[in-house]
Amino acid sequence: MGLLDLLKGKYVDPTYPGVHAGGDIITTTVDAVVKWGRRSSIWPMPFGTACCAIEFMALTASHYDLARFGAEVLRFSPRQADLMFVAGTIVDKEAPVLKTIYDQMPDPKWVISMGVCASSGGFYRSYHVMQGIDEIIPVDVYVPGCPPSPEALVAAVMKIQERIKNGEQAKSPQGAHRLGISGEGAIDRRQRRAAWQQDDAARAAEGLPPRGVLALRVLPTETDDHHHG
Amino acid sequence: MASATQEPPAASGVEAPAARVLRAELGPQLRSVADFRGDLAITVERDAWVRAASLLRDHPQLDFKLFLDLCGVDQLDDDTDEGLRDRYEVVLHLYSVTHKHHVRLKTTAPEAAPDVPTLTGVYKGANWFEREAWDLYGIRFTGHPKLERLLTHDAFVGHPMRKDYPVGQRHVLKSPKVQLMDVPADSEHLLVNIGPSHPAMHGTFRVQALMDGETIAACEAEIGYMHRNFEKMAEVRTYWQIIPYTDRLNYCSSFMNGHGWALAVEKLLGIQAPPRAEAVRVILSEFSRIMDHIIAIGTNVVDLGAITPFFVMFRAREDIYELLDACCGARLTVSYVRIGGLAQDVPEDFEARCRRVMKSVQEVVDQADGLLTRNPIFTSRFKDVGAMGKDEALSWGWVGPCLRGSGVAYDVRKDHPYSGYEQYDFDVPVGTVGDCYDRYLVRMEEMRQSLRIIDQALRKLPSGPVIVDDKKVALPPKSEVYSNIEALMNHFKLVYDGILPPPGEVYGYTEGANGELGYYIVSRGAKHPWRVKVRPPCFNIYQAFPSMITGALLADAVAIIGGLNVIAGELDR
Ligand code: SF4
Repeated sequence: MGLLDLLKGKYVDPTYPGVHAGGDIITTTVDAVVKWGRRSSIWPMPFGTACCAIEFMALTASHYDLARFGAEVLRFSPRQADLMFVAGTIVDKEAPVLKTIYDQMPDPKWVISMGVCASSGGFYRSYHVMQGIDEIIPVDVYVPGCPPSPEALVAAVMKIQERIKNGEQAKSPQGAHRLGISGEGAIDRRQRRAAWQQDDAARAAEGLPPRGVLALRVLPTETDDHHHG
Repeated sequence: MASATQEPPAASGVEAPAARVLRAELGPQLRSVADFRGDLAITVERDAWVRAASLLRDHPQLDFKLFLDLCGVDQLDDDTDEGLRDRYEVVLHLYSVTHKHHVRLKTTAPEAAPDVPTLTGVYKGANWFEREAWDLYGIRFTGHPKLERLLTHDAFVGHPMRKDYPVGQRHVLKSPKVQLMDVPADSEHLLVNIGPSHPAMHGTFRVQALMDGETIAACEAEIGYMHRNFEKMAEVRTYWQIIPYTDRLNYCSSFMNGHGWALAVEKLLGIQAPPRAEAVRVILSEFSRIMDHIIAIGTNVVDLGAITPFFVMFRAREDIYELLDACCGARLTVSYVRIGGLAQDVPEDFEARCRRVMKSVQEVVDQADGLLTRNPIFTSRFKDVGAMGKDEALSWGWVGPCLRGSGVAYDVRKDHPYSGYEQYDFDVPVGTVGDCYDRYLVRMEEMRQSLRIIDQALRKLPSGPVIVDDKKVALPPKSEVYSNIEALMNHFKLVYDGILPPPGEVYGYTEGANGELGYYIVSRGAKHPWRVKVRPPCFNIYQAFPSMITGALLADAVAIIGGLNVIAGELDR
């Protein structure tokens, strides 16, 4: 589907507000067109280090074919990419490299953290492994799995497309606070919990809620119970 | 497996040649000779360390030319003076391709002065291994040309594999090392940094080259960008909990790592998996070998700019993924083996599935062959590039397709058959020049040979159980656990206590996709191994890379590295 076709309204509902003259004229905002363009032509940069990178290859190879989602132009240069796939374990030695490369990507940019290693350190809770890349860079979509299936990655790309459409973009590392307060990079759960408790107390003194408390959606209560009514 | 892979232990009274020679030459400096499960281990005094290694290498009856592995072990158990005197061990593994025997040479160093003379003068390959032992254990190798950290980063404090170093103690690195080598102030050469994030470096290797025009005048490599501590994790896991970790060593062919691990532990336990399990292991290992070679060749030519062969060959990989998925529910990281057998039996239509996959492998191999083997663009990038001689390859410790490319027909499957490889008829291809093209040809032929093995194994696939019937090793079937109190208790006890092997140490080895993949396990009889050292084939291979590309064109470096098939998970562990 070419842009011209779309703009001519070939695939557009002619009764939709903003579509005029039977589909020959569309009024929209530049912003919407730009987002539509970005969404359909993502240039991913694979930051692949480990096993997940092999599964990433499967995603781009003939069978799963990421090209179907408009994201096949893999760029190994961060300056030409707008989506970074962090695929694989990131160890402390690699961390500054990852940060540098992230910083080199032009805005707007998105990050997919592929697999449990990139998301949380995975089952390597040890002396040289970063416990999740969100200690240092913002992450838009986390994909669980060790490695995640290619289908899950396709879903992640579609999530990114949705975020682009909505104009959302992660701006700061979500785990950054962990770095500062817990004797940088502590792994031991008890140690970390103690550090968090201290942090919570300090925030409470300032009248702030504890970090990481999510306001969960309240599910609407079902008024008439079909099963027991 | 113990009976199948090892030479029969020397009859009582007759010592193995290595022990005999060393005893005669070193006299009282030879401390002890041990033979456990057919593994010959010789301990010598520190002063005789270099002499012993040279004797092993040069004595015509021994001829241990192939350097396999060198590692440290921390034997900390009590803080008494007695206990600390021999705290650190340095363990060397060697092999002789002419006499087909292995040997383990050990020496010890006290905590107060952990100095051991370097072996870099005897074996080229010792260089990085000694740096690793320094990095992880703080053992100082006197006379080493460049004793610096290898795997951990510069801001790291301490030696993490020591027993008194906490598993999770991290150190944060803020900025990477800028220069790996010194550039003379008046140099007219250009320093080029390649990697770690560079497509040809596969995300985790880093090379700095001093360029004289297009030629590499000097070069230095850095590794450790994927050092995720397999060996430390293994010390806090039970024997079967380690299986998933082994999957992630050489993740291009994860099944084979588990296969090797299971065999090593079975050797330690002195048990053997049932014939059906062994046959299935062979079949899936050979499929994994094909899978690995597909990645090796596919990515190698992608680095050179040809994407079509990659797409063509990846089709077969997808088919193999499907087969593995049908067997165990995972595509890449399979964790299908268990100590003593397999997790569960293969699906009913296993043979039909295998045949289908074989057909598709045959197809893509033929297609890739047509696309590449006689393609002038490809051959001119590959022929006579990165040639490696026989003796040098052995001294570096090369194994697998790379060593065979250099003309040494050493293949564990042939020379020390395990899992029933002796029943199958297959050829071992060898190269003549040892260049990139030979390594490519060896891999292509090995895929065909693997198909032959699979075909024979499928024809005589035995029936029967797929895991040993031993309640101290294998979990009882779930159906019984849910219905029978005794099985429930066994299940509980085994999960809670783990497998308890006898104290001792073994070196189990198999032919991985990249060559001899060894596991050196030190057990103290507890549920966690005391020490696990992986003998990673591509560590030795990659170590030679800087010297291979010195004097070559920069573009050739890219052609060479892909053909070495260095896998970060196995390299840095
Ligand atoms: S998440 Fe699993 S598959 Fe991915 S890099 Fe980590 S260990 Fe490997």
